[in-house]
Amino acid sequence: MARSIKKDWFVEPKLMAKVQSQKEGGQIRPIKTWYRRCAIHPDFVGHTFNVHNGKAFLPVFVTENMVGHKLGEFSPTRVFKGHSAHVKREIK
Amino acid sequence: MPRILGIDIPSAKRIDIALRSIYGIGPAVSVKVLENAGIDATTRAHTLTEEQLAQIAKAIQSTEMRPSQTRTAANPETELCPILVEGDLRRKVSEDIKNLKSIRSYRGQRHQSGLPTRGQRTQTNARTSKGPKKTVGAQRKKD
Repeated sequence: MARSIKKDWFVEPKLMAKVQSQKEGGQIRPIKTWYRRCAIHPDFVGHTFNVHNGKAFLPVFVTENMVGHKLGEFSPTRVFKGHSAHVKREIK
Repeated sequence: MPRILGIDIPSAKRIDIALRSIYGIGPAVSVKVLENAGIDATTRAHTLTEEQLAQIAKAIQSTEMRPSQTRTAANPETELCPILVEGDLRRKVSEDIKNLKSIRSYRGQRHQSGLPTRGQRTQTNARTSKGPKKTVGAQRKKD
């Protein structure tokens, strides 16, 4: 079920403030963050976030298409390396 | 059999039911379309005249039930634009999936690997997205 429109997107205020201050400062540097639940606001476009995945901070460069998604969607928490090859066993 | 918008051939059911065999038209849209076309929903599809069919086709293309942009708290009341049916809708859906893949979002990656995208379990079931069962494992050696 979709989130109520009335509530608007959840954008972490602290993260928003950081983006704004970088915009005013004119210097865009990667922002390290744990806020995976934070929605990507249109103002975030062009910024890079290092999003925590539980282990490391993965760089996420925000483009226009990503607006409305959550930061966590771009920082996978699981790595699937494939299934192991099946070992053939002889039946005695 | 009557034809609406070229390809679709609904059967001899009530027209409000028959319209639902068009991809992209469900119960709610069907009612709205017939209202806009000014046709009684209880008439059987085969009794409709060519003129009435043309009216319905026109109503399908002009019925506005789809928000023109994503609604947010800043603009909760966006304009509505005509609904999409058949090829246009299928194209839209596959474009949306392609977009999810291109931005490398979690949902896009699930689509790419052919697994469920909405957090369902995959240890068992998930056959709709995974497709028919493929058995792996050692074959029993025949004597």
